[in-house]
Amino acid sequence: MGQITLSDIQRAYGNVKVLHDINLDIADGEFVVLVGPSGCGKSTLLRLLSGLDKPTAGRIEIDGKDVTQVSAADRGLAMVFQSYALYPHMSVRQNLAFGLENIQMPKAEIAERITEAARMLEITDYLDRRPGQLSGGQKQRVAIGRAVVRNPTAFLLDEPLSNLDAELRISTRAEISALHDRLKTTMIYVTHDQVEAMTLADRIVVMRAGRIEQVGRPLDLYNTPANLFVAGFIGAPRMNLLPVKIAEAGPQSVRVEGAGGLSIMVAADGSALQPGTDATLGIRPHDIRTGTGGDGSFTATVDLMEALGPETVAHATTDDGQKILAVLNGQDTTKAGDGISFAFDAGRTHLFDAEGQRLPPPRT
Amino acid sequence: MSRVAEFLTRRRGGSGWDWTDIFTWVWLIAGIFVMFGPAVWLVLSSFKTPAALAEFPPTVLPMATEQVMVEGYDNPLELYSVSMPDGSEQVLAQVRRVGTIAQMVDPDAPDEIVKVNIAERTPQRRVAFATENYVVPLEQNDFLLYLRNSVFVTVMATIITLLTNSMAAFALSKYRFRGRDGVMLLIVATLMVPLSVILVPLYSVVNAVGLFDSLWGVILPTVATPTGVFLLRQYMLTIPDELLDAARMDHASEWQIYWRIILPLAAPALAVLAIFSIVWRWNDFLWPLVVLSRKELYTLQVGLNTYAGELNVQWHYILAMTVVTMIPVVLVFVFLQRYITAGIAGSGLK
Repeated sequence: MGQITLSDIQRAYGNVKVLHDINLDIADGEFVVLVGPSGCGKSTLLRLLSGLDKPTAGRIEIDGKDVTQVSAADRGLAMVFQSYALYPHMSVRQNLAFGLENIQMPKAEIAERITEAARMLEITDYLDRRPGQLSGGQKQRVAIGRAVVRNPTAFLLDEPLSNLDAELRISTRAEISALHDRLKTTMIYVTHDQVEAMTLADRIVVMRAGRIEQVGRPLDLYNTPANLFVAGFIGAPRMNLLPVKIAEAGPQSVRVEGAGGLSIMVAADGSALQPGTDATLGIRPHDIRTGTGGDGSFTATVDLMEALGPETVAHATTDDGQKILAVLNGQDTTKAGDGISFAFDAGRTHLFDAEGQRLPPPRT
Repeated sequence: MSRVAEFLTRRRGGSGWDWTDIFTWVWLIAGIFVMFGPAVWLVLSSFKTPAALAEFPPTVLPMATEQVMVEGYDNPLELYSVSMPDGSEQVLAQVRRVGTIAQMVDPDAPDEIVKVNIAERTPQRRVAFATENYVVPLEQNDFLLYLRNSVFVTVMATIITLLTNSMAAFALSKYRFRGRDGVMLLIVATLMVPLSVILVPLYSVVNAVGLFDSLWGVILPTVATPTGVFLLRQYMLTIPDELLDAARMDHASEWQIYWRIILPLAAPALAVLAIFSIVWRWNDFLWPLVVLSRKELYTLQVGLNTYAGELNVQWHYILAMTVVTMIPVVLVFVFLQRYITAGIAGSGLK
């Protein structure tokens, strides 16, 4: 079992509050990714969970038991650190055994668990080496192995891939995913990389400045970001955010107008809005195509074309100075300095009010 | 060998001699004399007899006049090379000397006494090592006992120094508590107080706790060294905190973290402190002199002092025993100089 509940968690260092009233329920066996820009408090939250740090206020429960004041060792969790934190003076085998020896586990069982974990993570060949003789990817496996042998109720992973090169990061990411499928243990994973979050998570928790901005399944976050921050953070390249004004607002639809004669009807509940107020229209670069046919369109000048092969990323500036990113299918021959026409569909836009919150869906 | 030769004949200006080559050679050879001269002089002189030590001008190598047993004389006689009036050189044994005239005999014809002006004769000398300078203090005097005391003091003091200083350094580097920096500052500030200032109060304390005239009285007041705490703390600051966090997740107690994680990882710094501690305690003179009064408790350095009497200094014994006391320190430097350089470079201390 690995069901974890955080209620009203706060953490302050002196007068500086780094976490404000965090509430989060994590189901048994779930893979939860905490994601956010650096300094958002995600690592602090993980340390509070691990017990290495204590919250200023709030409750942490694991499987229904209050563990807020329980020490790190007695929470039954295992942690994988960003720097791996392998004991440099011990062999890989001793690294794996250290935690088990400390709870006076019989030697035979320790050996058995190490053999099993080493086989699973394919580190059997270098059990007798020191961490200094291992490559980054091997160290990473050992660090995960040290968590696996503990047989924990949940894994806590603090940016475990950030020290690996790009290629290794992708393969290790897949291995962590496979490991989770096999162990079916709760995993809580901290990262600032939204691609890792999207590919690994059952649920993503987006954090900013000590607050949870949105919790949801990866595609829900992508398709219906709750606010401007999530809209900008999830998805690469970033969503285009255009300043617009509310022209008409009703419970079924909202019409917004923007610079360059842009006028578009978006299906949303705008009954709380006053016409004339500011709003933001979000369009993902992948939802923009070249041409003129569509619910909305605008013309722009190309600043830069990045040909990636299967697709082309166009950096352009609209006639009124708005920067636009568009991902065009295939290979486009337009050159920098050329004029270009973009079109998009109203159904693929996202509308946010003046406070940056997504408008609710149309009333039925 | 060819590489050594190549190294020694290497010159800056290619084939010719550059002035920097000459300067370098002169500089290095002068350096050898300045650095090694006194040590070599000490070792050679330690093998000289008291008479040879008092001789002027002094010789570099320990010399002794050759002696020979001559028929009809009870004691061995000293051999001299004499220039005879006819211009020939002859080796004669001196029987006695009266004023400027020496009475000598030919060892092969012991009956006939030859009178020779002392200006006409030079002693027949050869290199001889007076090993009794070493044997007598070690066997008849208590120098082996002193050696044992010195080893005991050095070893115990070093072990306790490493243990206590590393504990203090661990607390001061890895725990956050109020006044941590203040405590550290206080410890480092004691570096500014020399032993001679606190000698009397320290003596009172040692006397009051009953450690006067005991080896533990020499050991215990010296084990808490600010240098050691500072050196170890600076090193332990470089050990990442994540390792300690990982150990805590691994059910390690704080003692286990210290013993199984911090101590092994601080080994290079501990080695440096061990070297320093060995040299300090081995060379200690003033404090053992104050604390120890029974002769059988003397350490080597205090023992050496017993040869310097008010009226008579037994230089031959002092020199020989100085060589003995130098040996462990020299060995420490020979085998551990790598760590010493690292330690001095790493801590900015010496």
